[in-house]
Amino acid sequence: MNIHSTPKLTAAETALIDAFGERFSELPGDATVAVKRDDAVEALKAGLPTRRVEAWHYTDLRRLLTNVPGYDSTLAARAKPALLAGSTVLPVLNGVSGAGASIDGATVTRLVDKLLDGSFAPALGPREPADTVGALNTAFVADGYFIDIAAGAEIAAPIEIQNVQAGGQTHSRFPVRVGQGAKATIVERQTGAGNALTSSISHLTLGEDAELLWIIVQDQPDGATCLSQFNAELAKGSRLTLFFMNAGSKLVRQEIRVRMPGEGADFKLRGINLLSGDTHCDVTMMLDHLAENTTSTEIVRNVANGAAKGVFQGQIKVAKDAQKTDAKMACNTLLLSDEAEFSTKPELEIFADDVACGHGATVTEIDRNHLFYLMARGIDEKTARGLLVKAFVAEIIEELEDEATVEVLEGILDDWFAEHV
Amino acid sequence: MPAVQETIEQVRNIDVDQYKYGFESFIEMDKAPKGLSEETIRFISAKKGEPDWMLEWRLGAFRRWLTLEEPTWARVHYPKIDFQDIYYYAAPKSTPGPTSLGDVDPEILKVYEKLGIPLKEQEILAGVQKPTDDGEASDNVYKSGRVAVDAVFDSVSVVTTFRAELAKAGVLFMSMSEAIKEHPEIVRKYLGSVVPTTDNYYATLNSAVFTDGSFVFIPKGVRCPMELSTYFRINEKNTGQFERTLIIAEEGAYVSYLEGCTAPQRDENQLHAAVVELVALDDAEIKYSTVQNWYPGDKDGKGGIYNFVTKRGDCRGDRSKISWTQVETGSAITWKYPSCILRGDDSRGEFYSIAVSNGYQQVDSGTKMIHLGKNTSSRIISKGISAGHSNNTYRGQVSVNRRATNARNFTNCDSLLIGNDCGAHTVPYIEVKNSSAQVEHEATTSKISDDQKFYVMQRGIPEEEAIALIVNGFVKDVIQELPMEFAVEAQKLIGISLEGSVG
Amino acid sequence: MLEIRNLHARIAESGVEIIRGLNLTVKAGEVAAIMGPNGSGKSTLSYVIAGREDYEVTEGDILYNGESILEMDPAERAAKGVFLAFQYPMEIPGVATMEFLKVAVNSQRKARGEAELKVPEFIRRVKEEAASLGIDFAMLKRPLNVGFSGGEKKRAEILQMKLLEPKLCVLDETDSGLDIDALKVVADGVNALRSPDRAMVVITHYQRLLDLIVPDTVHVLYKGQVIKSGDKDLALELERDGYAGLIGEAA
Ligand SMILES: Nc1ncnc2c1ncn2[C@@H]1O[C@H](COP(=O)(O)OP(=O)(O)OP(=O)(O)O)[C@@H](O)[C@H]1O
Ligand SMILES: [Mg+2]
Repeated sequence: MNIHSTPKLTAAETALIDAFGERFSELPGDATVAVKRDDAVEALKAGLPTRRVEAWHYTDLRRLLTNVPGYDSTLAARAKPALLAGSTVLPVLNGVSGAGASIDGATVTRLVDKLLDGSFAPALGPREPADTVGALNTAFVADGYFIDIAAGAEIAAPIEIQNVQAGGQTHSRFPVRVGQGAKATIVERQTGAGNALTSSISHLTLGEDAELLWIIVQDQPDGATCLSQFNAELAKGSRLTLFFMNAGSKLVRQEIRVRMPGEGADFKLRGINLLSGDTHCDVTMMLDHLAENTTSTEIVRNVANGAAKGVFQGQIKVAKDAQKTDAKMACNTLLLSDEAEFSTKPELEIFADDVACGHGATVTEIDRNHLFYLMARGIDEKTARGLLVKAFVAEIIEELEDEATVEVLEGILDDWFAEHV
Repeated sequence: MPAVQETIEQVRNIDVDQYKYGFESFIEMDKAPKGLSEETIRFISAKKGEPDWMLEWRLGAFRRWLTLEEPTWARVHYPKIDFQDIYYYAAPKSTPGPTSLGDVDPEILKVYEKLGIPLKEQEILAGVQKPTDDGEASDNVYKSGRVAVDAVFDSVSVVTTFRAELAKAGVLFMSMSEAIKEHPEIVRKYLGSVVPTTDNYYATLNSAVFTDGSFVFIPKGVRCPMELSTYFRINEKNTGQFERTLIIAEEGAYVSYLEGCTAPQRDENQLHAAVVELVALDDAEIKYSTVQNWYPGDKDGKGGIYNFVTKRGDCRGDRSKISWTQVETGSAITWKYPSCILRGDDSRGEFYSIAVSNGYQQVDSGTKMIHLGKNTSSRIISKGISAGHSNNTYRGQVSVNRRATNARNFTNCDSLLIGNDCGAHTVPYIEVKNSSAQVEHEATTSKISDDQKFYVMQRGIPEEEAIALIVNGFVKDVIQELPMEFAVEAQKLIGISLEGSVG
Repeated sequence: MLEIRNLHARIAESGVEIIRGLNLTVKAGEVAAIMGPNGSGKSTLSYVIAGREDYEVTEGDILYNGESILEMDPAERAAKGVFLAFQYPMEIPGVATMEFLKVAVNSQRKARGEAELKVPEFIRRVKEEAASLGIDFAMLKRPLNVGFSGGEKKRAEILQMKLLEPKLCVLDETDSGLDIDALKVVADGVNALRSPDRAMVVITHYQRLLDLIVPDTVHVLYKGQVIKSGDKDLALELERDGYAGLIGEAA
């Protein structure tokens, strides 16, 4: 924390600011949106965060963000088949939403319309000075979907948000409102081709007693940069399971921000990071227990190979009024190569006394006893290791109840192992 | 074991005035002019009759300090410190520096007597107390007769006991001021080699203005024949205490060192910014124990010591071992991270901590274990207890370097909350760059279980004592690491610190 | 000695009423057995007598030697001589059993204005009692109840009872988890404490304990009330016929 001087802007910073100058007139939105964009760019001009900003301690964005391709409307991205059979797919291709689908019990609106009429402006803007993803996205956001699920609706078919890149720069938002007592599954895919720069922000408001499973699968190509944010607010008695799997990109920053102001709400986070090559993948969770009897469990499993660097920051805050909170977090990592690295910062900030909170973090090798057991049964070491590493992450997937979903996700796992381990 | 009973006794006996070392003594002092400048530093250096290299070292640190900003990352809040409103040097006129016992101002000796710190060797030896049959020990580690004491009063060491005894074993134990003059070659070699003058804001300040502290040198193969200790007393108003301690254990040497401290009860905050450097060469072992009991401020958060301390041990040699044990009950603000740099192969670092906060105290403390050598291991056990309106943060780092093959770390931090106006926080940083590492971290936060409390009370033990009992159980793993007499004292202190926390 | 009048108690947190108008009198010198199906409120009753905060008394009173104890906290009740041997003794990490025993004994002595026991005297007594209950002295150096087997925990409860010499002993299923020999040892321990100025409330499901600790009265608890009282033959009847008939009658 030495002398503060205004730093010279990096090439990436300059490229972003220039891009804004060029794109500004084409970006959708009324005056209120324009003001938000302007403010956001001012924030970016102060420079991208370095590791001195605590929230970015392990991800020096200023140094790591080097890939800033321009926006290119001529690039074509093609929609993919749904991850889970029978899903309703809502594609955003190279940053542009499709016509929107009709779903029983839900209304889907293109986000561009909500920017144009200004109704989405209040949700824009960085949440705090360190919210660089929020600032970047606010400056450039052009489209996405707003999904509104009616109270009491039980939507059996998963709704898939398919954010497909073609190599340029795209910025999208996905607000989702789930009415009281409703039930649904949402799949968010961050995928595509080319070395795109993506920022993608979703906002979930979960009504009282609603139940939602949200699955994020990120498998962008090796050169891509994926900056994303998942925001959720959980009302009384609601239950959210967030499952994520990162299996691609060169630079990933995935922020998960969950607030639980409703009594008795429950949050489960299950995540898998499959890291290879020279990926830098940072998952940062900020969880606020704000009401009584709220519960949460978070399990993140990481496998790092090659020269990959992984980061998990998990902050659990328990407010003074959130008595009887029960929160448990675990982050377990296997490093498979000499050059792989993993850093973790599990954090507890607790102001209520009647709580049971805990976290555990391990970075280990494969359990030698298990390895011995398998080898004693005649399995060669390499195969045995492979089995054990895969089992280490597959455990998380198997917790999901739906068999078809488990099968699809294990398929991704198998593909990744086949290619990278 | 009887310590629990004593804790309870203590809690019972103490009513309003919990801090029993808060008395003030009026001793005529020789002070530097108020404020911080190169002049101040020249003044200190001249008072100490230091060689030029030492003055230059200090001035270098000061110039560096001028370019630094106060760190803000810790979870502690306090009004900006006016560094010009502090005296940086205060020594008793009668005893301006280390001397023999006969020459120490009797008023000063009285202070130590009142604190229960015996300095008269003959009496100590005559008064050796044998532990009673059930293991009951004397109430104070310093009276056990097995401890040599360096007594630091504000800015100077006034006396160091058992020097001659220790010298026979080859052990050098003296104040830092004397060491600079008597053993400049050793001091120059090691001073700043663990905590460089550029290290951090407070350490840099300390490098510029440190006034005294202890120097310990255990030569090759020597097992120090007694416990060594330093007792720090802040007495003078508006004075900062900046002590510097340097402990070197050569190949195969062993030393156990204790540190204690107290200060008068005052409405103004006072600054204490110390630096402690430990160096362990091949096969050496240093065990460093602290019972920190600076004045914590009153029940409304007024007054108290700001304790900004940099403590670091360098396991420089293969198979060396450094172990930090701390019981932190005092200070208005504690900012302290005793760390180990595990440089030698097969070296080991340990950190055992109990941090108790009550009233408006703020604690931000923990450790760093930096694994650099092969087969290095570290162990961290931290127990935080917050009560009243206090905030208690564990902040720790475990870092396994790329070359640190087969590194092992185990960390356990538990926090206990008593009451609903306090906070308990855990902020570990875990960084692993070697695939053969095994790093395990676990943390929990909870309150004292109602079931346990009911069970204990059902046996007729009143609530406050029931809590003290359960808390003592909670911290047992750490207490066990302290030398026995120190453990007794520590348990008492914990009980006293939590006094009044049951509402 | 113990007089419970129209007691109503509920779980403080949820407000669910468990004890619903219970009456029970136990005289000094008497051993009263309490039986009743699972969930009928036996343990709850024992907790309410001992003063556990999780339960709220909404009506009625508990008189101990003619004095209401409802306003006293658990430690005060204990100092007055109320002892509960828990169905599930709690584990207290880090606190050595021996140490705990000493603090408990001396706290109670102090509350009664008696001098503290000297350490050697105390150790001698513990050794004696432990031996009579077949408790390995080494076990007492371990943290209280932590890692004790089910049977060891129950013996440790009786050891505490013998050391504390209470006036009203409530034993909640002290027989469960004990092997046959241990049952005998524990029963002997309890019988040794029987005296004209001491009352015992023995909660159990099985006659085998009552064969060893022969009760003066037997009370059947059901849905938070005593639905039938009798002498030791009532227990034998229950052993033979089960609760069904009684419950039918009550309904
Ligand atoms: N804290 C509590 N929260 C919820 N229910 C409780 C609580 N305490 C007791 N109960 C319920 O009250 C009823 C009485 O319980 P209690 O333990 O007193 O039964 P019991 O007669 O001792 O049974 P057992 O013979 O199985 O030991 C049960 O239905 C139990 O589930
Ligand atoms: Mg029961």
